[in-house]
Amino acid sequence: MSKLLNSIAGWGVNIAIAMTALRTNLMRSILTTLGVMIGVFSVILAVAVGNGAQVSVTQQIATLGSNMAIVVPQPDSGSGPPRSTDRGRLTERDGRAILRQVSGVSAVAPQIRSSVQLVTPGRSATTQATGATPEYGIVSNVAASEGRFLTDGDVGAAARVVVIGQTVADKLFADANPVGETVRINRVPFKVIGLLESKGSNLGNDNDDQIVVPITTLRQRLQTTAMQGPDDVTLLFVGFEDEDSLLTGQREIKRMLRDRYRVPKGRISPFTVRTTTEIAETTGQVTQIFQAVLVAIASISLLVGGIGIMNIMLVSVTERTREIGLRMALGAKRSDIRNQFLVEAAVLCVIGGAIGLTLAILAAAIFQQVADFPAPVGLDTALMSVAFSAIIGIVFGGYPAIRASRLSPIEALRSE
Amino acid sequence: MTAPLLETHDLVKDYVIGGEVLHAVNGVSLTIKRGEFVAIMGASGSGKSTFMNMIGCLDIPTSGTLLLDGIDTKTLDSDALAEIRNRKIGFVFQQFNLLARTSALDNVAVPLIYAGLGYTERRERAQAKLEAMGLGNRLQNTPAKLSGGQQQRVAIARALVTDPLMLLADEPTGALDTQTSLDIMGIFQKLNDEGITLIVVTHEPDIAEYAERRIVFRDGRIIEDAAVKSRRRAVAG
Ligand SMILES: Nc1ncnc2c1ncn2[C@@H]1O[C@H](COP(=O)(O)OP(=O)(O)OP(=O)(O)O)[C@@H](O)[C@H]1O
Ligand SMILES: [Mg+2]
Repeated sequence: MSKLLNSIAGWGVNIAIAMTALRTNLMRSILTTLGVMIGVFSVILAVAVGNGAQVSVTQQIATLGSNMAIVVPQPDSGSGPPRSTDRGRLTERDGRAILRQVSGVSAVAPQIRSSVQLVTPGRSATTQATGATPEYGIVSNVAASEGRFLTDGDVGAAARVVVIGQTVADKLFADANPVGETVRINRVPFKVIGLLESKGSNLGNDNDDQIVVPITTLRQRLQTTAMQGPDDVTLLFVGFEDEDSLLTGQREIKRMLRDRYRVPKGRISPFTVRTTTEIAETTGQVTQIFQAVLVAIASISLLVGGIGIMNIMLVSVTERTREIGLRMALGAKRSDIRNQFLVEAAVLCVIGGAIGLTLAILAAAIFQQVADFPAPVGLDTALMSVAFSAIIGIVFGGYPAIRASRLSPIEALRSE
Repeated sequence: MTAPLLETHDLVKDYVIGGEVLHAVNGVSLTIKRGEFVAIMGASGSGKSTFMNMIGCLDIPTSGTLLLDGIDTKTLDSDALAEIRNRKIGFVFQQFNLLARTSALDNVAVPLIYAGLGYTERRERAQAKLEAMGLGNRLQNTPAKLSGGQQQRVAIARALVTDPLMLLADEPTGALDTQTSLDIMGIFQKLNDEGITLIVVTHEPDIAEYAERRIVFRDGRIIEDAAVKSRRRAVAG
């Protein structure tokens, strides 16, 4: 017990000696600390941005809706979200067949997507229009926060009604309530019947920058690219009752579409059926790689900072060889000398780490405000960075410290 | 009677310079008893410092035996040697060797750090030794704000702070003027009267006369070892 207390007191003394040494070479200490500070700063910021990307992706996936499969008429591109080029054919009839024949399907939402221009007196906006049915609201978790969403009646009558996203509303109506107003979409007048619930933005993708119109109306009045048949859609959202039926359903849909379009055996299917779980996984992997690359780059600056520490410690040992000799003459053991320099390096690193951490937290907060991008600095990141900088100190201060402790007392004392 | 404080048998230290062996200390056998006050003299390069460094456990002999307080130093590892330097030996250097930008009090307390003492006890003991050296009003002065004589007295306080058995001083008055040198020798005599063993290297014959035994080195050997006949007493300062 008293031995333990003694050793704690011993470290206290080492810290005191280290602080004195650092204070006597204040400018040099600050410059050395700067290296570690920048290193820790960039590592933490990289981790925070990476975490933010993960959070963003998770949110993005959540906005898609869970237990959902997306069917696009395009060969499977392997990984990543489905591309929308090289479009084949997919029809509302396919959607109805899926609803009827695949077990566990709760709803199918056929959609046509098209880029449109909206005009109100004095203002205009370009956005993406989704031609949809009321099922779109159910499957992908979309609802109106003001007014109402589409109904079967709207679709049946090919009514010129539109539900607009918050961003579009801001552009066209500023602060005024858009519900009940008229907007011209590709020159055709539409009545605004609702405002979409805001879903914010993720990774620079604004989920509120869109409008929804009845699929029939879009087909008749707004479609710019010609489809091959009157029943064709851009994609289908298929909602499932639960995760198990999603997994089996994905396979069933694939098989069914092959049958319906008579795709010969051995030929690649022109359809991709991707579940939200899969999208979450692949996107998650991408962001993880993104984060790893960021952290790797930032670690290089931490490494450079560590080498700076080693350099300064070597200089410090050389400069203070005589002091080391004196301390040995006065009874310092090798371990005392080693610990003195280790503590000195660790103190430099921990101070640098603490400042770097503080600046990183500030920068992350500013980033969050300015770029509207989450960059959370967690407690784990904070602890990790402090531990990291202490380890840097011990690793890079270790060699100079051991070198100092190996000096022969008399040679150290005689050095100039 | 216990073992003598210091015993050397055929102590040798060789340096190899450019392929040639130089016998800096060339077979020194010597016994120093507790409470002795020894002056070591000799021409420059005769091996005095080399001998002092070996008996102070700062340097390792090439061959021969060194018994300190009855212990053969060959059997000791570097930690044990560090402990001997800390507990049994006090060093006083020609150039004082105080830590710059460090107060007198903190300088004197350094050996106590390595003795494992707590903060308060370190300060109390260091302060007591400085007061005994007449520096009670200079505790917070850094070396730059002390005269040469005062610096050397701080160094003596530091050498004494762990209550060692012997004090080794290699030309302690080499950097001081005559009067200050005499003051320092007075302090040494007083310490010797209190029982501490002293070994002092000096070039000046009249300084050597403050000791009770005089040893002369030449070419790494002892050529003369005798009691000081007309010993001088300083007015204790
Ligand atoms: N580290 C060393 N390497 C090589 N030779 C050395 C070393 N230290 C001392 N010597 C040589 O050993 C001899 C004895 O040196 P030492 O310093 O012991 O002499 P000294 O009697 O103390 O001289 P001075 O009165 O000038 O201090 C000298 O010839 C010196 O050049
Ligand atoms: Mg000498």
